[in-house]
Amino acid sequence: MSKPIIVGISGGVDSSVSAFTLKEKGYEIECIFMKNWDGNEESCTSEEDYKDALLVCDKIDVPLRTVSFAKEYWDNVFQYFLSEHSKNRTPNPDVICNREIKFNSFLNYSIDLGAKKIATGHYAQINKKDGLYTLHKGKDNTKDQSYFLCSLNQKALSRSIFPIGDISKDRVRQIARDNNLLNHSKKDSTGICFIGEQAHFKKFLKKYIPEKPGLIKTSDGIACGQHDGLMYYTIGQRKGLGIGGGYGSSELPWFVADKNIEENVLVVAQGHDHPALYHSTLTVSNFNWISGTPSKKNSLTAKIRYRQNDQNCNIDVLSKDKIYIKFDEPQFAITPGQFAVLYDNDECLGGGIIDDRK
Amino acid sequence: MAYFDNSATTPIHPDVVKAMNDSNTLHFGNPSSVHSKGRKSKALIENSRTEIAKCIGAQSEEIIFTGSGSESNNMILWSMLYNNKKHVITSSIEHPAITKVLISLAKFGISFTELPVDKYGMVDPDTLLKAIRKDTGLITIMMVNNEIGTVQPISELASIASEHNIPFHSDTVQALGKIPLLVNELNCDFLSFSAHKFYGPKGVGFLYKKKLKEIKSLTIGGSQESGYRAGTENISGIVGLAVATKLIRENLPKRIEHLKHLEKRFKENLNNINSKIFYNGHPKIRVPGLISMTIPGYRSDIMMAKLDRENLEVSSGSACGSGSIKPSKVLREIGHKDNINVCTLRISFGRDNSSEDVDRLANAMISIINE
Repeated sequence: MSKPIIVGISGGVDSSVSAFTLKEKGYEIECIFMKNWDGNEESCTSEEDYKDALLVCDKIDVPLRTVSFAKEYWDNVFQYFLSEHSKNRTPNPDVICNREIKFNSFLNYSIDLGAKKIATGHYAQINKKDGLYTLHKGKDNTKDQSYFLCSLNQKALSRSIFPIGDISKDRVRQIARDNNLLNHSKKDSTGICFIGEQAHFKKFLKKYIPEKPGLIKTSDGIACGQHDGLMYYTIGQRKGLGIGGGYGSSELPWFVADKNIEENVLVVAQGHDHPALYHSTLTVSNFNWISGTPSKKNSLTAKIRYRQNDQNCNIDVLSKDKIYIKFDEPQFAITPGQFAVLYDNDECLGGGIIDDRK
Repeated sequence: MAYFDNSATTPIHPDVVKAMNDSNTLHFGNPSSVHSKGRKSKALIENSRTEIAKCIGAQSEEIIFTGSGSESNNMILWSMLYNNKKHVITSSIEHPAITKVLISLAKFGISFTELPVDKYGMVDPDTLLKAIRKDTGLITIMMVNNEIGTVQPISELASIASEHNIPFHSDTVQALGKIPLLVNELNCDFLSFSAHKFYGPKGVGFLYKKKLKEIKSLTIGGSQESGYRAGTENISGIVGLAVATKLIRENLPKRIEHLKHLEKRFKENLNNINSKIFYNGHPKIRVPGLISMTIPGYRSDIMMAKLDRENLEVSSGSACGSGSIKPSKVLREIGHKDNINVCTLRISFGRDNSSEDVDRLANAMISIINE
């Protein structure tokens, strides 16, 4: 019986080059295109992406199959997304999508199809140490996606391959160009896949959660505007507050510093350096340890958002899935709902959801 | 070759290919031109029309060339915009080229009633009788369902329509070439056909329009097809279509026998395995060679992928744009719950399949099930 490696292909250049690379190395491979959102036209690029995937698979001569995890996505990712927003937190559906869809539904489906392993176009690397699989940053630091993979478990890592984890994005595009893969210059996808452009975010969310307008106040308690609903804002946000730079004591821009949920007040502070925007400690729940709890608790680093340099920190393990992080330096805009991801040098130890900061 | 998806499309018959190549090579003239090249092309088209009409027992002026079965269906349905009666009756298991058009027509004040089907996918003529309203302007019911192969009692349904003076259309795309089909026995006003379902080329179909019955054109411009379809004709496609219908006229009993033999052999092969396989559609009143089978507990997409690896090509329900499987509406309508709905495969044999092909498919399926 055939035991291929099954590549999750999105129509983008990363997964395409992943498939190409494995094929070049002589592996038996098949590709699967996942459809995770039931086609309403407002944001669906899925048909175009499928066409790109099909042309790439045709070019490199591998079978392409399609599967819909729309129901699983709706139940396990979208409901989480709505639930976090309705609590006025800022969810990260990409992390949950990896955990629930790509490295669970898709993985199990591939196993049903007889796959030995699955492969995806993530910029991350997998090693093995003392009988356990470990997750590491992608070699291209500017593209490293280990942050989004912080919820993976041992089963997922033992069955996964990241063929482009040890090369740079430039090199990936070069390989695509050299081998005439049509999507070599395709733009990286950004934003939340089911919403598309950020501009549609408000309209989208409103369809599912009733908005609850309230006051905007400065961190000193002075009312300075109105908001359409706390769920529309994220901590650290600068644009779209409707408070001009001219307001207040200086020309500096205003930022969202906090959400006072009891009073439905959006708290803002002026200037990027305003102390209300900074905290040094935070608690994280639902923490997933990729290869078990580490013995090392000090001199670790963490990221509290995807695009952030590693920040030095120490941790306390409070319970099986709850930790406390103390940073050496105060951090800008620690955002409840986002993921805090821990690293020991280039090893991603795991991550969890930010609950609270002080 | 081990292709078992002949209800999706068929390989083009070599005689069709040859006729099309000759026509493409030799006859490029515009049939609307009056010079000799134009006249030659016009003659090819009109001779083709006659040949095609003969196949279904129609008169040549009752044949209108279109681009596909879907286009034929669309012509009939969009003509409702010009009808004073604004209600359509259809069945609940039609092809999207009927159901989606009806949904679009709703925006223009045209409503429709879907007749239910029984567990075999059969429409009960009594339900049609009850659904007829004063403002019913069209009845459209497919002859052969593309997923389960059940053949509807079209002549009976059409007679009811004609007693009430309501035009009757049938989507016969899946019927021609698999069962006898003669217009004087069916009593329909309109029928839709598609060449590639019976070893003809893609991109060409036709509409049977009974004399004196009126429809409107979707494409307006030149006076081709008596004004029913503007645009320079697809000459080689039409020539190919004519050859394909000629082959039906000459070979239908043989083809039916071959398909029945393959179907029987396949089912016998699968009889021996210890799985609760069952077949969908009417056990007797059905097209030969189309098998809709459910293997409870075995998802059809997994089965298809595993067969695909051995170059055995089958289908699950009807083919769908980007290939993802969704529970089939037809199977829901015949009462299947979604969990077994998605465990249903469609195998459709064709003239190129041999007994050995069928054995290979059956054996491959048995080993996959027993894995």
